[in-house]
Amino acid sequence: MESVWQRLRSDGYGMLGFYIIAVFALAALLVWSGLLGQSWAVVSGGRWESISSTHWFGTNLLGQDILQRTLFSSATAFEVGLSVTILSTLLGTVLGALAGWFRSSWLDELILWVKGVLDSIPFYLFAAAIAFALQGNRWAMHLAMVITFWTTTARIIRGEVIRLKQREFVEAARAIGLPPRTIIFRHVLPNTSHIVLVQATIVFVAAIKTEVILSFLGLGIQNGVSWGLMLAESSQEVLAGHFGNFAAASIALFLLLVGFNLLADSLQDAMDKRRSVS
Amino acid sequence: MPKTTQCVILLTLLLSVACSPGDPDEVTTSKVYRHAMDGAPASLDPAQAASLYSKFLVVNLYDTLYRYKYLARPYQLQPNLATAMPEISDDGLRLTIEIKKGVHFIDDPVFAGGLGRELKAMDFIYSIKRHFHPSSRAQGAWLWQDRILGLDLWKAEGSDYDQEVSGLRALDNYTIEITLTRPFPQLIHTLTQGFAAVVPREAVEKYGQQLSSHPVGSGPFRLISRNSTRAVLARNTNFRQEPFDLKDEGYDQKTQGEVGLEDLQNKVPPFVDRLEIEFVTEDAARWNAFSAGEIDFIKVPVSQFDNVLSQRNPPILSSQHEDIYQFEAASEAGFIYTNFNMADQRIGYHPDPERNRRNHALRCAMIKAFDWKKRNEIFFYDIGHVFPGVLPPSVPEFDPEADAGYIQRDLESARQLLRVNDWQADNLPVLEYGFPNSVTERQIFEQFRNFMMDMGYPADKIRPLVFATYGDYQRAYSQGKVALINSSWTMDYPDAENNMQLYYGPNAAPGSNSANYNNSEYNRLYEASTALNESTERTQIYRQMNQLLMNDCVSITGIARTLLFLWDKKVIMKPDRSFLGGYFLRFVDLEDSLQTHE
Repeated sequence: MESVWQRLRSDGYGMLGFYIIAVFALAALLVWSGLLGQSWAVVSGGRWESISSTHWFGTNLLGQDILQRTLFSSATAFEVGLSVTILSTLLGTVLGALAGWFRSSWLDELILWVKGVLDSIPFYLFAAAIAFALQGNRWAMHLAMVITFWTTTARIIRGEVIRLKQREFVEAARAIGLPPRTIIFRHVLPNTSHIVLVQATIVFVAAIKTEVILSFLGLGIQNGVSWGLMLAESSQEVLAGHFGNFAAASIALFLLLVGFNLLADSLQDAMDKRRSVS
Repeated sequence: MPKTTQCVILLTLLLSVACSPGDPDEVTTSKVYRHAMDGAPASLDPAQAASLYSKFLVVNLYDTLYRYKYLARPYQLQPNLATAMPEISDDGLRLTIEIKKGVHFIDDPVFAGGLGRELKAMDFIYSIKRHFHPSSRAQGAWLWQDRILGLDLWKAEGSDYDQEVSGLRALDNYTIEITLTRPFPQLIHTLTQGFAAVVPREAVEKYGQQLSSHPVGSGPFRLISRNSTRAVLARNTNFRQEPFDLKDEGYDQKTQGEVGLEDLQNKVPPFVDRLEIEFVTEDAARWNAFSAGEIDFIKVPVSQFDNVLSQRNPPILSSQHEDIYQFEAASEAGFIYTNFNMADQRIGYHPDPERNRRNHALRCAMIKAFDWKKRNEIFFYDIGHVFPGVLPPSVPEFDPEADAGYIQRDLESARQLLRVNDWQADNLPVLEYGFPNSVTERQIFEQFRNFMMDMGYPADKIRPLVFATYGDYQRAYSQGKVALINSSWTMDYPDAENNMQLYYGPNAAPGSNSANYNNSEYNRLYEASTALNESTERTQIYRQMNQLLMNDCVSITGIARTLLFLWDKKVIMKPDRSFLGGYFLRFVDLEDSLQTHE
């Protein structure tokens, strides 16, 4: 049987997505390590300078280099994407597994009720409320996303755990007297990894998109730069005929999202056991 | 004849009657002026007319005792609801004002029979008292606080409207007497404000908080509709008949001759039947609406300055726009500044004299590192007026000889000041720079941080403190929670006292002195100046106070913006955004060809 990686490698679109993400991830790593994009705040040129050998993407209103800001923004995107994905997936997986395992118990009811309440609140309204409540806190946006993004993961994992609970290996584990905690975390959850992985890529994309939208609205990144802030800046520049910010931020965002979508699709196919059997 | 045929004939007849043109004489014509503003009024209640946008509408829906002459510059006071300028007692403490007879509020169900009753002196008394009544949520009390005899006591004793205030009396139905606690030459200016507009008591009592969206005034217009994006006003047909007189309004043929104002002579304002005022906060949307001819007037967004100007200094309109638009460049009556919060020990006053001295040096270094030339170039298209201190070119006290070094960037001196006073990157304080959430405010912050970085201030030690709205921001700095306060001041009236009080010690937070500056010499000079009218003596005092502010390095100031206005050539007007504000709308007229048929 082919491994997931082998199946992924054989999918051209999936690999294209992988390489796109790898390029952005590399840029983010270099930014974090202080080797790239460190001059994003520095005024290094004149107002709205065109593309040149000094400023590959031109400059913005203040004379800041748009390339530096675009690169730094990829680190912002990954920082938000990774933190939100890890936390919300962890939360969703654990709560989903508990709800599924203890199906129809008070715990299941409680988790489903909380999930229902959170799902019923319009997301951007909720994010704005959190941002205003935690005035100036740099983690307000992350918190809003984590609080709301775990619900989908939890719903999917709950269903999968309910299904797995009927399987023989779980019956066997129960028969030998293993406690539920061990069965859930050692035997059941590892069998949901394919779902978790695909769901994580979807959350990653959603987090990046949401960060851009929230930053555009002024509810996101406070001290730094992101593609959302660049797009917000561009809203005042495009009318005056300056497209540097708009083009750089929207192309970067588009490429990264396409990369993730290609990879997620391919990953889903590669992990589809029915497909691997055929 | 079959029934179907009968029905068809009947329908055809009905339709033909409905669609036939009526008698041409019956067609009504109306003049509609379409204005655009970059913000919306939060309330139309005069007691809450704090913003430029609220005031703009309020003075058209209500009456004030005085206003400014439409065309005279510098601004001159003009009786509005008053019959003449006030009679002032020799000691300057008692003012007697007569109001016009026969002025009526608009028709409204609050009045007997729904017909607007006559406006009386007591209405004015009541309207001022409202600012001192807790239920009004009024915002204009500061104009008269500690100034009018007995008013503060009236408030302290429970704000009973039926209880008389000794310094605010109606001698009869048409005579008002105001007694001051001390001379206050600016009082008449305060009576031009939207805050001083006259409301009928019965409307306040009936509508309560709803008065903010249901105005009942005696101004030249009445409200037809209003929502968050537009307001429609119609001419108040009962507005008093006072023919327009060019000379009386301060017309200057040399500078104002090209607009067509002569045609207005002897006409009775308001000249248009309907005002449609759009509230469009987005520059791009407002500009697009103007370009498409959907609105008649615009304050040109800075992003369009390149497009509309062929020359910056002085601003000249490009030929392509010259053919279709009237143009005016006006210096703003006010200024933009960044205050240091003197109550913050990291940057302001410090109990340790040594640290106090070093803080002073740090503030002075930051002022030297600030690049006004760049600020003007980037955000004001290089046509703003940079000046040292708080006396902008729009006030007579402006000093062309003032210390220009205060507004010139000198990075070497700034770095030296830091060095000499033992400030290094590692011991410089972390400072929060506050601003309300907007793209431009963020860019202004980033530019400020860059200026400081050039001097050696670490980027991570100047941090943004972002607030959802300007109101939140204002609340925060009024409570002393912001170290670096970037803000702008638009003068309430054309008297420099309005700027000088911004740094008067007793006005410290939560008052208007957001810098929390408290210098006994400055306070003494301010107190000495308050009794003085505009004069050489007062000018000298103000300039001395201005110099004190600069010596103490209290604020990075300032720049007065140059605003560009464009309006359709078929609209006859001289727009104004400062002291005259919304008062000019009653004098807007359209060429006859612009009349629309209804």
